[in-house]
Amino acid sequence: MTRKILILFAFIAVAYACSESDDTGSPGTNDSFDRSLMLVHWADNIIIPSYQDFVPATVNLRTSTTIFVDEPTSTSLNDLRQKWETAYLSFQNVSMFEIGPAEMVRFRDRMNTYPTNISEISQLIANGTYDFSLPSTNDAQGFPAMDYLLNGLGDDSETLAFYTTDTNAEANRNFLADLANAIHTLSENVLADWSSSFRDDFVNNDGSSASASVDKLTNDYIFYYEKALRAGKIGIPAGVFSNDPQPQTVEAMYAEDFSKALAMESLQATERFFKGQSFNGNQVGPSYEAYLDFLNTIKNGEDLGSLINSQFTKAKTELNELDDNFVNQIETDNSKMLEAYDELQRNVILLKVDMLQALSIDVDYVDSDGD
Amino acid sequence: MKRIFFSTLIIAAIFTSCSSDDDAGTPISENVEAPATYTFERDGQSTVSFSGQTTRILMAGELVSAFNDFDNATQESLQNMFAHVEGAEDFSDPDLNASDKSVRSKTAASKDFFGANATESSQIKATFDGYIATQINEVFPNQNVAATPGVAGQIADGSSARYVTGNGLEMNQTFAKGLIGALMADQMLNNYLGTAVLDEADNRENNNNDVTAEDKPYTTMEHKWDEAYGYLFGASTNAANPLQTLGEDDAFLNKYLGRVEGDSDFAGIAQDVYDAFKLGRAAIVAKNYEVRDAQAEIIREKISEVIAIRAVHYLQSGKTAIENQDFGAAFHDLSEGYGFVYSLRFTRNNQDDMSYFSRSEVDGFIEDIMTEGPNGLWDVTPATLDAVSTAIAAKFDFTVAQAATTD
Repeated sequence: MTRKILILFAFIAVAYACSESDDTGSPGTNDSFDRSLMLVHWADNIIIPSYQDFVPATVNLRTSTTIFVDEPTSTSLNDLRQKWETAYLSFQNVSMFEIGPAEMVRFRDRMNTYPTNISEISQLIANGTYDFSLPSTNDAQGFPAMDYLLNGLGDDSETLAFYTTDTNAEANRNFLADLANAIHTLSENVLADWSSSFRDDFVNNDGSSASASVDKLTNDYIFYYEKALRAGKIGIPAGVFSNDPQPQTVEAMYAEDFSKALAMESLQATERFFKGQSFNGNQVGPSYEAYLDFLNTIKNGEDLGSLINSQFTKAKTELNELDDNFVNQIETDNSKMLEAYDELQRNVILLKVDMLQALSIDVDYVDSDGD
Repeated sequence: MKRIFFSTLIIAAIFTSCSSDDDAGTPISENVEAPATYTFERDGQSTVSFSGQTTRILMAGELVSAFNDFDNATQESLQNMFAHVEGAEDFSDPDLNASDKSVRSKTAASKDFFGANATESSQIKATFDGYIATQINEVFPNQNVAATPGVAGQIADGSSARYVTGNGLEMNQTFAKGLIGALMADQMLNNYLGTAVLDEADNRENNNNDVTAEDKPYTTMEHKWDEAYGYLFGASTNAANPLQTLGEDDAFLNKYLGRVEGDSDFAGIAQDVYDAFKLGRAAIVAKNYEVRDAQAEIIREKISEVIAIRAVHYLQSGKTAIENQDFGAAFHDLSEGYGFVYSLRFTRNNQDDMSYFSRSEVDGFIEDIMTEGPNGLWDVTPATLDAVSTAIAAKFDFTVAQAATTD
């Protein structure tokens, strides 16, 4: 009798396991969470306001560049450096939204490919003509190219000489102005697209297929967190993917004391987006966190949303420990960089594996096979 | 009497078990033992040698890199690297310059497939010459032009710039991946592992009597087998024990055996190939040619499979990218796929000792992919890529899905 019950029980267990795996095996989701409301909140309270903060910063960057190239002095140079920092920081809030108009123009690659390519920059300046829309110029434009041209040429008098007494001074000035122009024009176009048609396209594409807005932006968000933040800002310079640390790959390496600020801004932006905090103020709307709460997602007996939140906190704590200049940090005590990397990596697992599973979203990118 | 009868029975029993092994297709390998690593010696001296293969792998590597050396490469310089002559300053590595070896002379040059097929061999060589000419004459002038349908130039693949012809092909990829078949696989499967080469002239008699080649520590047969091995492991950090760095040692067959090994659907294939090479070489030392030839068959089957798996893999990833309208990623994948499809001509089917795919089948695949519209890869549809993938996989024991995904 007991035996029969056991067998029956085993049979039920198998049947149950099968039906459960069926459920998770089908893509798409039947949950009743209102994805459409979340998209509206994302677009209107986070994404567009982030661009509305960034674009004026690029206007200021362009204006200060014009002032500087018209009259290169230490005053105009320092003003330009400041505007460059402000815009670069603001960029960290929009970079994760590589979708629609931004994706079309390869926004992040053109704004922030580093390390910048000094010989390519010299070549382009010498040529006098260049097309920044060509992918081969990714590493000779954007904020990193400006970093080199504002902070990487030596002391102030050497930097000013490059734009005044150098035999190529005029071409050098033109190139710098063109860089700032390109940054501004690209950003303005992306915001204009969001403000006209793309906002509605984005919000109305509220299904749960691979091409739906939630699925796509979620992939963009996690890709950004994994590749641009975790790997680009910390892992690659710390040597996680190579035999030795690579301090020459630090973001904004010529500015010297700015790399931590950029990484922190980026991390906070990804955290705020997870929680659904509006760009302006602390109003909270529908978000990944709310979605996970709605689904009551539990991992190892703990609430997944809380796990991710506390992991964000841990990563911020580790990041805070680092030197303002990651080059110094790598050269004095790289183990701290590695610790920060590890904390960031833990959230890759929670976001990319656990959260995506809960939200029934498939990963749409793979690691390139490197050839 | 009784005793003798009993012994006879035992002997008969042993014989029976041996012959039943034969029937089951298992080779008699009792008297051949593979060493732990690919290490063979005679009188305390290594008998393993494949420096010519190492040289050609390195030459091919420099040549493929030079395809995108916009500032320095010319049609002449690339062609000279392809058809190197001893002493010419074609490479950055002086050892390569000093060598009398050339990549082109061994392209589509196997005894089994091209010994009596000089016509096709010269067509294939001309195809590779053509990749060089197209790169220099069509792609180079458009280095700083954005590629559009019918117009050569650069196109973004993620954060990389890819340089393509007007029909979307990357010549460095078609060249490199085509060479995996036309040089590495062809020389290995259809030349050095074939009895026409292994048993040529008095190779067997000399091997049976340990008569070594003039001034060499190895017999000619041993050396031929090593040359086959060299096309896979000739650039390995530790060529005697090469699986530790598999996939990192060249950009050709080694790399892609590594890629296939890395897909859990095919894990173990690298060990199978390595073991077959070791056992086959040990069989030559033991003068057991049956075991030797059985290992050659294993290698032919597995290496053919590697080429087919990668062909399907890249056609499928190209298909996904086309569906996403990501032409830059698609063209890169499909250019690799194109090269692997071209390489199918050099695979070897043990059933009939012919290629798995005839010249006309391979040409048909390429025509399907390249001529759906006026502009080659700009016009190819997912349905066509699926059809070609299915036709390739149908000849092997793997599915399109297994080849498409890599865990």
